[in-house]
Amino acid sequence: MKKQTLWTRITNPKYIMVYATIGIFLAIYAFGAFLYGDKGFLTVRTFVNLFIDNAYFGISAVGMTMVLITGGIDLSVGAVASLTGMFIAYGTTVLGLHPLTCIAAALVMGVGLGLLMGWVIHYLNVPAFITTLTGMFLARGVCSLISRESIDIKHPFIDALAGWKIYLMKYVDGNWVKIKPIAFINFNVILFLVMIIIGAFILQRTRFGRNIYAIGGNEQSAALMGLPVGRTKVLVYGFNGLCSVLAGISYALYVKSGWNLSLQGGELEVITCAVIGGTLLTGGVGYMAGTLFGVLLKSVIPALITFNGNLLSWWGKIATGLLLLLFICIQRFVVTTSDRKKGQ
Amino acid sequence: MQEKNILEMKGITIQFPGVKALDGVDFSLRAGEIHSLLGENGAGKSTLIKCLTGVNRMDAGKIILDGKEIAPTDPGNAIELGISAVFQEINLCPNLTVAENIFVGRQPMKHGQIDWKEINRRASELMSRFHLDIDVTRPLSYYSTAIQQMTSIARAVDIQAKILILDEPTSSLDENEVQLLFSVMRELKASGMGIIFITHFLDQIYAVSDRMTILRNGHLVGTYNIDELTKVELVTKMVGKDMDVIFSLKRSEVAPDAEFMLKAEHIGDASKIHDISVNVKKGELIGFAGLLGSGRTETAEMLFGATKTVKGDIYVDGEKILIKQPFDAIKADIAFCPEDRKRDGIIGDLSIRENIMLAVQSRKGFMKPMTKQEQTELANKYIKMLGIATPDCEKKAGELSGGNQQKVILARWMAASPKVFILDEPTRGIDIGAKAEIQRLMLEMCGQGVSVIFISSELDEIIRCSNRVVIMRDRAKVTEVDGASCTQKDILKIIAEGAA
Repeated sequence: MKKQTLWTRITNPKYIMVYATIGIFLAIYAFGAFLYGDKGFLTVRTFVNLFIDNAYFGISAVGMTMVLITGGIDLSVGAVASLTGMFIAYGTTVLGLHPLTCIAAALVMGVGLGLLMGWVIHYLNVPAFITTLTGMFLARGVCSLISRESIDIKHPFIDALAGWKIYLMKYVDGNWVKIKPIAFINFNVILFLVMIIIGAFILQRTRFGRNIYAIGGNEQSAALMGLPVGRTKVLVYGFNGLCSVLAGISYALYVKSGWNLSLQGGELEVITCAVIGGTLLTGGVGYMAGTLFGVLLKSVIPALITFNGNLLSWWGKIATGLLLLLFICIQRFVVTTSDRKKGQ
Repeated sequence: MQEKNILEMKGITIQFPGVKALDGVDFSLRAGEIHSLLGENGAGKSTLIKCLTGVNRMDAGKIILDGKEIAPTDPGNAIELGISAVFQEINLCPNLTVAENIFVGRQPMKHGQIDWKEINRRASELMSRFHLDIDVTRPLSYYSTAIQQMTSIARAVDIQAKILILDEPTSSLDENEVQLLFSVMRELKASGMGIIFITHFLDQIYAVSDRMTILRNGHLVGTYNIDELTKVELVTKMVGKDMDVIFSLKRSEVAPDAEFMLKAEHIGDASKIHDISVNVKKGELIGFAGLLGSGRTETAEMLFGATKTVKGDIYVDGEKILIKQPFDAIKADIAFCPEDRKRDGIIGDLSIRENIMLAVQSRKGFMKPMTKQEQTELANKYIKMLGIATPDCEKKAGELSGGNQQKVILARWMAASPKVFILDEPTRGIDIGAKAEIQRLMLEMCGQGVSVIFISSELDEIIRCSNRVVIMRDRAKVTEVDGASCTQKDILKIIAEGAA
């Protein structure tokens, strides 16, 4: 029996992509620290803000990672999140409902749509791209049906939830004091981190999660190994629907309004997070840790541009595009070298 | 061996669109026996297995496992019933680790979580039973095909099924690994498992099985004890008797001093074929005989550049040429009519005219397109010459019958006037009249000085048409015999026993 050491465990080739993501994130962070360290780039606040400003993308990326691992794709997440915002805004402000009622309705809508799309994809054998594109148009259409204007969310419950924060403290001379500059984490950040942990648990520690990987590796083989392919795929899209709704809630808390055109193209940003986090678009490979760093990597670029102050924000898009290209090239390289190894 | 049948399949019939893949086949398996399932490709072995594992639904028939009638609905259901299968193509997930591939779907759990330590420990144990000392926590794609195959066998063994199906498990294993597999099979057999073993290596069948069942064209030929049939009898039963159709075909006459049109010396590809030499004279027809998987197609694909030749030299008309891709072969006037005509040959959505003009156009270069009138003239000429049954040349090629599609492919290459024409199973799956016509056309081409390589599983055809017959076995050329003086029996004997 081959002995497993810590070293063989760490150098296992299956983690290459995650290491690449973490490595590039650290490199860019170090680059930022070198250029703007004196302007406060290295502070805890800057780091925590990466989470606060991108939590909704991160929450959605948890579900998207799973969908991508099965070898599928979901283009409806931006629209579903936007629709969730509309549910909350219209429900509380216009209809006078409690936000929790609106959230419950949004959950039924999001998870239901996800399950339905999963069912169509697997049992009617319609490509995921087309099915979820339809879902996207559907959800976006309903958004505009509810209202074509932005609706502010004014409700004590939402205000309380959005305003709730934990200040980061440090221990100085026997007293806990707030660190300077002031940094805090809010509900969105906690939800994001909890979802990452739940996602990682599902993927690594449950049979359902392992079936997701098996399907992405080779769907036909998975079926021949007796795995419940159909059920797993339907549930993955359902779970992604749940993540979209949670992302929508998080976004609503972030902007405190609902707008029918919000988060347009958000699905692509979410897919970008997952892919630069090392998730293979062809399926079968991806880790929650990678997705976490993918979100950070994608959000550190706009942060750098803000610190520079002179660059147009469009440079962020260009940098993200280059990053995505780089990762797709690395993925190709990893896949082809592992294929070549097989020949030996 | 116990006499008790653990599995009985009765009157299994499976209908696919247009063909009966299985027609009333009976099969039985005893507990503690290794039972070989034999037949040529398309005989229905895989279909029978797929029916047993719930991949294909049967249209008629009964499956009785352990005295109870079952109807597996899907592979998962079959595994629950105690039927586990290892398929020829490795049906595992390359992205998962070796250990996980063995246990996915039935992972040991601890405190509601997957117990990875237990998985890795048990997988290591299982693999060391196969004398494989590997790190089971690496992804499957990291390892060779042989180890992957062993992994899928380990999975099937660990499921502790009542019935284990091994469909061509040895095709990627070397001799030692095969022996290892056999010893594991014998162990499992001793423990009372029934094993269905499918392979095209005849020696392996005799080495390990107790009984064998032969299928041909979806029909049962019979079930025999292993000592009941000699290899020659076995092959005869697999290939089938001669059709009682006599063709008035005459072998091509080759001038004794004819030059070699094609010479391939010691060629080999990256994986399958190691060293093969073939030569064909002007106007000569060479038959390639051998069972499927014996290397016939691989050799043809090398000559045409469809697979890469890594060693050896190829000469056409005395000139040494380098064939890297089909385009090089076409430039050197080699034509190839592939085995799988639907997939590699005909373009179903294009018209007959467009299909026929392809090779000519490709040689002219796409910068100089033929006019539509030229195309129509060309197509009509060949439709008339080959007797393609169609109202006009604009009909979609995909709508033609198999025999007529084959003629369209022949026309495509004949229009390009090749020097060497390689035909891989041109007569498979077409009716007897069309077969005769294809053979007549090949011989006519020989008469016009074209050198033909003719690959076929039907020995009577080979003998009828060939000047010389190259006999292939286990991916190597065994010998060459004279087409005029050899008999089917001689060839079968060489295919079965490997010696001239």
